[in-house]
Amino acid sequence: THTMLSLLLLLLATAHGLDAIPTLGKPVLASSTLGGQTTASTFVLEQPRCVFTELQDDIVIWLVVALPEAVANFSNTVKPGSPRRAFQKFPQSTLAYMTLNTTLLNYPCDKTSRDITVLRVGSETTCAKDELRPTCNGPLPGPGPYQVKFLALNGSKPVAQTNWSDPITLRKAQPSSSIPMRGSKHSSSMIALTTILSILFAILLAGLVAMLLWGSGTSGVSSTFSKPEAVTVRRYNTHHVYDQPAARL
Amino acid sequence: MAKSGGGMRILQGLLVFGNVIIGMCGIALTAECIFFVSDPHGLYPLLEATENDDIYAAAWIGIFVGFALFALSILGIVAVIKCNRTLLLVYIILMLITYAFEMASCITAATHRDFLTPNLFLKQMLERYQKVDTENNNDKWMAEGVTKTWNNLMLQKQCCGVRGPSDWQEYTSAFRKTHNDADYPWPRNCCVMNDQGSPINLDGCKLGVPGYYNSNGCYDAISGPMNTHAWGVAWFGFAILCWTFFVLLGTMFYWSRVEY
Repeated sequence: THTMLSLLLLLLATAHGLDAIPTLGKPVLASSTLGGQTTASTFVLEQPRCVFTELQDDIVIWLVVALPEAVANFSNTVKPGSPRRAFQKFPQSTLAYMTLNTTLLNYPCDKTSRDITVLRVGSETTCAKDELRPTCNGPLPGPGPYQVKFLALNGSKPVAQTNWSDPITLRKAQPSSSIPMRGSKHSSSMIALTTILSILFAILLAGLVAMLLWGSGTSGVSSTFSKPEAVTVRRYNTHHVYDQPAARL
Repeated sequence: MAKSGGGMRILQGLLVFGNVIIGMCGIALTAECIFFVSDPHGLYPLLEATENDDIYAAAWIGIFVGFALFALSILGIVAVIKCNRTLLLVYIILMLITYAFEMASCITAATHRDFLTPNLFLKQMLERYQKVDTENNNDKWMAEGVTKTWNNLMLQKQCCGVRGPSDWQEYTSAFRKTHNDADYPWPRNCCVMNDQGSPINLDGCKLGVPGYYNSNGCYDAISGPMNTHAWGVAWFGFAILCWTFFVLLGTMFYWSRVEY
């Protein structure tokens, strides 16, 4: 890797001439096991640990967030906090901003540590509209895409940087009215239940009708002996209560 | 007086037995429906807000039908033993009316169960949870019910959203209007809480670190009780009605054999 690095440096030096600072690594999004890896206005990056290994601890590492069209002509010498790099002016009058500054001391290279080492970009909501805080880590104004890189500054002199990340696109919320509400789909059990119950009820009603029309006793009386007649027959019955069984037998 | 033939005695015995079972099932149905109407899981406000709480109507009908079945079964036993034609006819007619009501209850419960899909609850949650710009009193009442129910649900069942916390990211919501995305990617109750009711790690919750936020959805916790409710009313009622069908057929046959 050392030879590759020096080759890269040589190429960069010839390509850019004056701006020849080492370019190491590339920012990546944090692991996707994090539920909030990307939300509508924030995203989570892995901290740049074990990247700037050759620098002193008091170097300040900045995060640069830019629109993809600003990447080609991005200048490392513009001071963070100046109007060209202010969060509050992004993206209307400037195409990039710088934020999340911290010394290299806070990114120790500890390969044995199993802590979650991430940076949440967009978490500071209190200073989002405060013009006096141009380096605010405010929520991203839209779904992007954005590209980020880390820039190491010694005072105001750039000493190292990472490559630009792949474009990061944030989540875009659909309107809740777009949720499809299909008309109730009838399950097979409901249809079976309805059918069977209806058939049973129909049979019962038919049975009731049959019973009333034809079931009036077994003495062979015609269907004209309907229910009101039965009342008078009963009264008649009480006089002949002992005769009837005999007559039947 | 009926013929004292052995066949009629057996039929009498069967009918009395049938009515005893109907009476007991009637009491069981009443008890079950009272249990459902009492809403032990606190999910009624969600149904109220869908403006279609038919499974509750079905349970209410079930309470009264159960009681009616019990009373009619006693009438039936008396009528069969006394071989009284009038009483038997009254019993049959009233039973048929009760049968019709119970049928309505079962079919309503089963139909309405099919209406309760995940998308229904998702849309309701997004549109009503923490809604502040309510149009009228009814709207305000429903929004408060939904908010309170969801807060309890997320806290007690350790879940978030209908399918998961990403519901709050994928769709716009009333919640999103008052709580910005950076501070509240999902509601506060989606965070794992300590005993005092505050998140154990707020940053972990916002980042979505497994263990600090509830990553599973609440749909199972909602549909479980509602399924039990709907199927309990529908299928138990169906079983009772099948049994009652045979008892009624037997009673009709018995009526036609009873002497004046």
